[in-house]
Amino acid sequence: MTPASRFTLRIVAVSAPWCGAILAAILARHARMIACAAASLSVMASLILLHAAAAPVRLNETLMVLFSCLAVMATLVLPKRDCNASTIAGMLFVVGSTLLAYTTEDLLIFLIAWILTAAPFFWTEFFAAEVWRPRVAAGLSTIALTLAILLIAAAGERMAIGELQQRSPGGMTVFWLLVVAVIFRKGICPAHAWVADAAENGPAVPTALLLNGHFGALLVAKLIVPLFPHAASDLFPVLSYLALATALYVAIRALTENSPRRLLAFLALSQSACILAGLESRTAEGISGALVHWFVVTVSTMGLFGILRLLEVRFGENLTASRHLGLAEQAPRLAVFFVLFGLALVGSPGTLSFCSQDLLIQGTLASHSLTGLLLPIAIAMNAISIFRLFVRLFLGKRRTGFTVMADALPRERWILTAAVLFIVLGGLFPNAIVGLTR
Amino acid sequence: MIVDFWQATLALVVLLPGAIFVVLALLWLMGWVPRERVISRLTHLTFSLIVLALTAMIWHLSASGASSIVITFGNWFAVHDYHFPLALLADRLSLPFLLLTAALSGLIGKFSATYLHRERGFLRFFLLLQLFAFGSLLAFAAGSLDLMAAGWEIVGITSVLLIAFFQQRPAPVENGLRVFAIYRACDIGLLVGVFALHHWAGTASFTNGFPSLHETQSAMIGLLLLFAAAGKAAQIPFSGWLPRAMEGPTPSSAIFYGAISIHAGAYLLLRVQPLLAQSMLGSSAVVVIGVLTAIQGSIVGRASADAKTSLAYASLTQVGLIFVEIGLGWRRLAVVHILGHATVRTLQFLRAPSMLHDYHKMHAAIGGELTPAGRHLAKLFPERFQLWLYRWAMDRACLDTILDRFIVDPLMRLSRLFAMLDYLGLDGPWRRPEEVPPSMQNVARQRGE
Repeated sequence: MTPASRFTLRIVAVSAPWCGAILAAILARHARMIACAAASLSVMASLILLHAAAAPVRLNETLMVLFSCLAVMATLVLPKRDCNASTIAGMLFVVGSTLLAYTTEDLLIFLIAWILTAAPFFWTEFFAAEVWRPRVAAGLSTIALTLAILLIAAAGERMAIGELQQRSPGGMTVFWLLVVAVIFRKGICPAHAWVADAAENGPAVPTALLLNGHFGALLVAKLIVPLFPHAASDLFPVLSYLALATALYVAIRALTENSPRRLLAFLALSQSACILAGLESRTAEGISGALVHWFVVTVSTMGLFGILRLLEVRFGENLTASRHLGLAEQAPRLAVFFVLFGLALVGSPGTLSFCSQDLLIQGTLASHSLTGLLLPIAIAMNAISIFRLFVRLFLGKRRTGFTVMADALPRERWILTAAVLFIVLGGLFPNAIVGLTR
Repeated sequence: MIVDFWQATLALVVLLPGAIFVVLALLWLMGWVPRERVISRLTHLTFSLIVLALTAMIWHLSASGASSIVITFGNWFAVHDYHFPLALLADRLSLPFLLLTAALSGLIGKFSATYLHRERGFLRFFLLLQLFAFGSLLAFAAGSLDLMAAGWEIVGITSVLLIAFFQQRPAPVENGLRVFAIYRACDIGLLVGVFALHHWAGTASFTNGFPSLHETQSAMIGLLLLFAAAGKAAQIPFSGWLPRAMEGPTPSSAIFYGAISIHAGAYLLLRVQPLLAQSMLGSSAVVVIGVLTAIQGSIVGRASADAKTSLAYASLTQVGLIFVEIGLGWRRLAVVHILGHATVRTLQFLRAPSMLHDYHKMHAAIGGELTPAGRHLAKLFPERFQLWLYRWAMDRACLDTILDRFIVDPLMRLSRLFAMLDYLGLDGPWRRPEEVPPSMQNVARQRGE
């Protein structure tokens, strides 16, 4: 494939969601259809790009396929109540901006994409939450990244990431600024609380889409490791310990959380911290495990947040994990989907996460034999928390206050089944996914 | 790769229940609900075929004089030097377990078709039975500890979902959660043990036996795997989950806690017995845990008020003795003990509901109660000690209390402390009090703000 056609496909993949956002805002009645078509177009363009990409450097294209598929899933799983022009337009805007960040090889464009993905969460017409911590975290991470890129520019360096590789542009100041950006954007301890605030107070599905961009991990994989290999090898243990500590801290924190949204956010955060710990293990197993886990966390958390939102729409927004709600009686299929996504998130066999967590544990234990032990402990705690949430939401005697509601609708059922199939088939034949991460 | 008839049969034996589970579950998710007769016949057919195949394999092995059938599918996944070998092994240790699993699963399927007739969750039970059979067959036929861990965890998940089978009642559901927590905590031992084996021996595969390791390394791996096995087999200090698991339907209690799942830990130790034998510490720990569990199970079982719990503790006692046999290196005796115990205990569990009925009939016939038996041991102790022992047994050896006080409660306190730290500043200058979301208002109220 010629560079020109590759460039055209990238433009199509990125601009389709943006154009879809504008169209959805104009033709509000057909918002879901437009969003689905735009996201599907992105999927097709990304798939062609992936097919044409040379084998050793396919990470960008793989992530583009994953995220555009996630966008299709998000638009289909979105309940009718939330399917208005502003939500759909905001979601498509986030999708386009995230794909831009994945595809670009230019620092300035990366910075613009970084800012654009966070923008709808500052805008009250879109997804702005009433709490301050998400805005502060997004703001601080953006300031840190902007300063880092300004310093690189001031040092007279070019903006092409490929040309900056292994040159440590801007020195240690830039390195630490990038680390600060990762800490705030990823929600690494002690800057973790914004993730739960955003999930609880913002719209569930768009927030899941934002969190699943995994910009912190992207920054590590795309900038920090290639640009600062020497600093990374010396100082990475610090970030790695922080990631492992976050995974454990948040896992412990989730044990007593009763708000389902906050609980899911903590689990997503803890499992995402495992991605960072794997990337920073500097072992082939750890890095491959982290990238496969990226896939798993993305699909599972989107499924879990989507199901939770469907439950909120059906049974009210006062769901809690402090008592049994017995929703499985009304929604048995949603219960099964929930437990499947939940188990997939925490490394159950038969799912892709069994493979990813096996690799992650091997990688982190080989890299840090003592602190690496925190990873299986954190994963075990996350498993207990997700099962507790499942038990409390779906099992037990049904509360009399709930009216009779429909189980998963065909639209929701099909897309959730497709996601489950991806996780299960990925678990049965993991080499196909592991091969993409090499 | 050329696969001969027996290798293909072994692969089919393991994969068949898994494939049936996946197909039925997907069809149900898409909206199809099969009739009871279809489900029970399919189950009957599946396990009959598997039993036939396994019997033929045993006959083939004894006739040909071969020691094992091994099928290798290469690596499930491989990265750099690390690989996850996908190999199945049917040898003199695994074949009896495979046959026992298939035969008892078929029996339980047949029994449950009547026992759970028109019960809500009929399909769910049979789906979980297929998944359990797949997990067990995978764990017993695994050619490496990696693959055994996969089957091991599947058995754990199905076990928990069946404990919570009567989902409308809060007690089974909460007990399921407790059992899940203990399983997951103990599985850490298996995961880290497998890592250690990869790290020191280069592989966790045992199709060609275990490599010889340094005594300290063997001891560490042995202790990690013992931790995992103790969790699965409800050995001390994890015995508290076993009576909680009795909340599930009787057929699942029979196959899980009378026959297969409860012996999975013993099977793991039997598999790694060559490693345990390399370390005095590892084998001694197995013996000590086994002895303590057997004593505890025997005493607590005598004070149990209901039939299923009493049977559960009887199982625990026997499994403790099996651990002792493994620790002492009496492998053949342990295998025979497991096979005999699993069969008898399954029968006892399945008979438990009708046995109570029979007792009532007998009491009515003789116009009083049958003469109590089994008090000859109690008479050996002074009366005050008997009373203390009775109270200790009624508290189920205080094992749950110890776990709660020293592990669960501190962890929960730490979690609540982290929650308080998380909410710091939320009602500060940037936030008006009415903006505090409901879940945070409780914390703010507790802090008196």
